[in-house]
Amino acid sequence: MSDTTFRPVTTETPLTRVVLILVSMAFLGLLVAAPLITVFAEALAEGAGAALESLSHPEAQDAIRLTLIVAAVSVPLNAVFGVAAAWLITKFQFRGKAVLLTLIDIPFSVSPVVAGLCIILTFGANSWVGSWLVAHGFPVVFALPGIILASMFVTFPFVAREIIPVMIEQGKTEEEAALTLGASGWRVFFTVTLPNIRWALLYGVLLCNARAMGEFGAVAVVSGKIRGLTATMPISIEMLYNEYQSVAAFAMAAVLALLALVTLALKTLLEWRYADQLAANRRH
Amino acid sequence: MQIEIDEISKLFGATAALHPVSLSLPSGALVALLGPSGSGKTTLLRILGGLEFPDTGRVLFDGQDATGLSVQDRRAGFVFQNYALFRHMTVFENIAYGLRARPRATRPTEAEIARRVAKLLELIQLPQIALRYPTQLSGGQRQRVALARALAIEPRMLLLDEPFGALDAKVRKELRQGLRDIHDTTGLTTVFVTHDQDEAMELADLVVVMSGDKSGGRIEQIGRPQDIRARPASDFVRTFISA
Amino acid sequence: MMTGLVHRSPIPGFGLSAGVTLTMLSVVVLIPIGALFLEGFSAGIPTLIDTINTGRVRAALYLSFRLSVIAACVNLVFGLVLAWVLTRYDFPGRRILDAAVDLPFALPTAVAGIALTALYAPNGAFGALFKDLGIKIAYTQWGILIALIFVGLPFVTRTVQPVVEEIEREVEEASATLGASRAYTIRRVILPLLMPAALTGFGLSLARAVGEYGSVIFIAGNLPMKTEIAPLLIVIKLEEYNDPGAAAIGLAMLAISFGMLFLINLVQVFSRRRIGHV
Repeated sequence: MSDTTFRPVTTETPLTRVVLILVSMAFLGLLVAAPLITVFAEALAEGAGAALESLSHPEAQDAIRLTLIVAAVSVPLNAVFGVAAAWLITKFQFRGKAVLLTLIDIPFSVSPVVAGLCIILTFGANSWVGSWLVAHGFPVVFALPGIILASMFVTFPFVAREIIPVMIEQGKTEEEAALTLGASGWRVFFTVTLPNIRWALLYGVLLCNARAMGEFGAVAVVSGKIRGLTATMPISIEMLYNEYQSVAAFAMAAVLALLALVTLALKTLLEWRYADQLAANRRH
Repeated sequence: MQIEIDEISKLFGATAALHPVSLSLPSGALVALLGPSGSGKTTLLRILGGLEFPDTGRVLFDGQDATGLSVQDRRAGFVFQNYALFRHMTVFENIAYGLRARPRATRPTEAEIARRVAKLLELIQLPQIALRYPTQLSGGQRQRVALARALAIEPRMLLLDEPFGALDAKVRKELRQGLRDIHDTTGLTTVFVTHDQDEAMELADLVVVMSGDKSGGRIEQIGRPQDIRARPASDFVRTFISA
Repeated sequence: MMTGLVHRSPIPGFGLSAGVTLTMLSVVVLIPIGALFLEGFSAGIPTLIDTINTGRVRAALYLSFRLSVIAACVNLVFGLVLAWVLTRYDFPGRRILDAAVDLPFALPTAVAGIALTALYAPNGAFGALFKDLGIKIAYTQWGILIALIFVGLPFVTRTVQPVVEEIEREVEEASATLGASRAYTIRRVILPLLMPAALTGFGLSLARAVGEYGSVIFIAGNLPMKTEIAPLLIVIKLEEYNDPGAAAIGLAMLAISFGMLFLINLVQVFSRRRIGHV
């Protein structure tokens, strides 16, 4: 009786394990790794020069600039919302808290296209708000503000969802202690609360940013796809692809794929390095 | 059933858990494995139950080598420290689990299973709780359900890991008598692990005092409670039982 | 006036945080969704029903819903396997595999869409293989299904993983000491414990798939009645300046996804009451 024949009762047979691992690898390989490789392969199909050339095209530059502007506005706004909502929900007792939490989560279960549709119906030229805004020289739909609103809608819960559980775990005794020591409200926030939630906040901002820069459905509906003006990177990928400019489309896609990989790497790093300061049970 | 442990040792990675130990337990005895944490008593119990495999040595049941017998075939009724009840099943389903898990050829009919579960609930004096879920039970009730679940498979022996560890003092005393009664009714060879010398001395017919150091757990003394009290075999035993 | 609604607290900032939260929530989410309801119901409920109840809209909603359920089922099975493998087994490349699960969250849908199309089109690497077998994937319902599996892939794995970590080994050992084979333990003990979380993941994956647009439209072919998904129909209605029509389909999709989430929540509440937590 050698101990190699003994297998702990809580594990499967080696054969089962190998099969399950191979199944997992094949599934992720076919569905995740292969498309990712395809993006870079197609982008470099005519050499790195052609890919870089297509990215330096003025329209491509405009798309990149627009996407950066959209992210630069919508992500900080959502971070402010997330922090305010988390403060409200975790530091105070009030009626309707559960309803508020549900309302914050709504964008998770709304199709991006429906989100864009909602923005059009509210701020489009046919609505009274929209017609008033257009009359006063501030069009929202088919313009930058609409794209920002659409991006904010789809990423709305991201930051709040990451920091609320962390702030619940940490309770409010530290803040109360700081208050008894004579600190002002803002001082308590910046010296006590913010240091405690910074990694979770960064984590939420990271996810929010990746989604905001890559959002397609909601933006496609509100942007009007005006070249150089309202075509973000994902929109120009669609336009280039439909014009059979494969290298240009995939070059732009490769830039966004790189962004996704960097996001994943930073996310993994945060989870690994600051696991204790992120919420134990994260949802996306 | 008579249990024979012959020169058993166990390493976990580089840490020694059991120095080679030998032990003979007479059929029908109620045995306490008594010792501080790190003395290898739980490891020894898990080796008896088939949950760990010894690096050297043999386990004999009624003189037959059972060392390589799989946990499923061992028919050792095992009660875990935190009871490990299946919380998505009712008390009835928990107790019936071992019977329903049998291959079709030896599986009792549902009527027979119901009859046996009712009898076991009678034995643990909780006939009313069949349809409750474990989360709806008190700590003492959970312990008794775990006992009934282990008895349902008609085990050849009963192994209990700190059976009273998770209970408060008052319930603990009551359940000691409960275990004694069940042992006397079933006549099963019963081994329980404890670090509480009162518990061991009061309840067991035979006490195995264990100690542990870097070279692993070892047996300090085996004997009836009164003999160990009267004639401690080492300084360790003397200090430990007077603690 | 607020005293009935709010417990007094020594911590400052209630007014400010409530003001920021409610204003932004209203402007970005609540008012726009309100506008959808207003537009959808403005012509009256009979008109709303007539708009949704046309062959093309029905076909699109049915297609979106049916394929999303299939995709969520595929993800349920593979998600459970992945959660188990990534939590319980140690093997070279485990960390990379674990990170790869998140890629569908991070990769923009348009990027995924053109990549999957390039891969599964008849002249693509995988598409060519299937073409030899006589199966066409891109521009058919198979293509839509693959895109929907892709976008919903992380949900089940990520909701189930923490629960696998929490399962006490003792419970599995208890099952074995009672004579159960490993397969029986998995079927009767482990899977039931994972089910509530798996169901949550299933629901999230389903909700995501029903509304998905970017990764699907490139690979779908977009033939009316055959490979036209509901979100695409909204885009088409908007391009025809048919706002009420778009709103009607939008409302139908909202109703479907909220209905499903409600159903799944009910099952959750039921199982939570039984099991205690999870």
